[in-house]
Amino acid sequence: MKRYLSAAVSAVLCLGLFYSSNVMEDTNSFAATNDQVQAVPCDEKITVLTPLGTPPNIKLKKMAPRLDTLDGKTIYFVDDGFIGGDNLLYEMIDWFKANYPKTNVLYKRKGGMGFEAEDPVLWAEIKEKADAVIIALGH
Amino acid sequence: MGIPSVAIVLSEFYEQETDKALQCGMPGIRTQWIQGPVWAKTREQLRRDVINGNNPISGRPVMQEIVEKFTKPLTSEEKRTGEIERNRGPETYTGTSEELQKLFLEKRFTDFLPVVLPTKERVDEMLMGTSHDPDEVVGKMSPTNTGHYFEFWTFTVRDVAVNAVMAGCKPEYMPVLLAILSPDPRTGISKEAISISDNGFMGAVVINGNIRDEIGLNYDVGAVGPFAHANTTIGRAWSLASINVGNGGKVGTTYMGVIGNQGNLINIVIAENEEKSPFKPFSVRLGYDKGENVVSLFEGWGILSAANWAANQWGKEMDYPQIMKNIAAQQGFLFGTFFVLSPPIADFVKQKFDTIKELEEYMAPPSPFGFGGFAKMKPKPGAKSGDTPAPKPAFQMPPNMPRIPVIVTGASNNNYWSAGGFRYSRSIKIDDWR
Repeated sequence: MKRYLSAAVSAVLCLGLFYSSNVMEDTNSFAATNDQVQAVPCDEKITVLTPLGTPPNIKLKKMAPRLDTLDGKTIYFVDDGFIGGDNLLYEMIDWFKANYPKTNVLYKRKGGMGFEAEDPVLWAEIKEKADAVIIALGH
Repeated sequence: MGIPSVAIVLSEFYEQETDKALQCGMPGIRTQWIQGPVWAKTREQLRRDVINGNNPISGRPVMQEIVEKFTKPLTSEEKRTGEIERNRGPETYTGTSEELQKLFLEKRFTDFLPVVLPTKERVDEMLMGTSHDPDEVVGKMSPTNTGHYFEFWTFTVRDVAVNAVMAGCKPEYMPVLLAILSPDPRTGISKEAISISDNGFMGAVVINGNIRDEIGLNYDVGAVGPFAHANTTIGRAWSLASINVGNGGKVGTTYMGVIGNQGNLINIVIAENEEKSPFKPFSVRLGYDKGENVVSLFEGWGILSAANWAANQWGKEMDYPQIMKNIAAQQGFLFGTFFVLSPPIADFVKQKFDTIKELEEYMAPPSPFGFGGFAKMKPKPGAKSGDTPAPKPAFQMPPNMPRIPVIVTGASNNNYWSAGGFRYSRSIKIDDWR
């Protein structure tokens, strides 16, 4: 009995999907318009178009080589400005001072408005003076 | 730059940032995942949860992992270069209607409601609503139009028509939808309705001109609600397009709204009640001709009845401009204030101010963030790069940009009106997309 009921409900739903707009269009229906909807049997196969846009290709970038050691190296701790990121970086700096005393650590606040803004002056300084960078915070 | 780096990111963003790293061409980038939140915690709490804590993804100590990320040699996979070719997958799908509804739901092509399935016949009919070539590239969109954080997907007139069919639009709505999805000439970027932001933004449009009656937009009872076919399906189509042609709205990767926004299902589509408004239409105030078909785009949190604001003290006699001023003073700088007045409220305002410009000057709000907010900021004296933020305005504020958008729509059966936070973006001529 349950199977028959289920089949009946499916049939009603199926008909509803295809016929409801005919009835409801004049009452500002949320469903399709008359012209868009055809009476198609539920088991008939139809072909539809993809609704997606087109993603770009991806060019892989070369990653920077890693360091053999942190001793004698300079790590820049860059704060991108998200609230609380400075405190987190201060704690990280303290940890490095305690655990890697031969590593130089330097806190910097990135310029520009917003997390994404570029700071060419700081980037140039990092390129010249830093051996590694920690940047925070991806909130 | 050639210098090893580690970005510190909350583990809740693992899927999103992994996806983003691939898009940027560095799928092996060494990100350090930490337990959030950071904001609002004391240094002691941060020391406990992060510095002495574990990476929630790997379960290993955070600081030990950071050291390893600087010193562990790159793997062959991390050293890989070249190009990954991508496409959008199959151009068509075949099945019964039930199978296709299920497939579209599973592939997250929908807003979780049933859609009108986009057969070629239906899409071709939708394309009759515009003279533009189906293969013409309309624009590019990403889950956020603020900068280049995400990759942009390009889309054509046909892609828009497919989403319009799915939303239940009629062909005559196509010029409006194409105008909404057209790129900003300043950036080449189309505006998404569903932003990735954890703020939970939504979109709104204001439509002026004769097209309001031509396509049956409602600007009477229930004007900003889903009470007319055109308002409802255009509002829905913008979101579906944002999901499908802009790759937005996927929780975990391209959507991160902390609470979310119910308006992402059907964005607010406001046809201004120009006939009942005592003021010039919004588009005319921007410089367009009366009757010219124009759609104006907004982004923000949404609107609520003005009765929601404590500033709106009800009494026998009401000073609506004063109430508006008080509400505007409570609004944040991010989106500023956006008013939707019913005709009777607009009439009350008109008795005190002849123009909206005079009303704006009376309310004297701060400029919303984005245009004027950037442009007006000055660096602190003596500021140096790397020490303090140095403002770089993305755009200059347009000379006629509304400081507080005031739109008149709806009916006159009572003195209700709404206010909220929406920032004006730009206006587009609809007839360019016929």
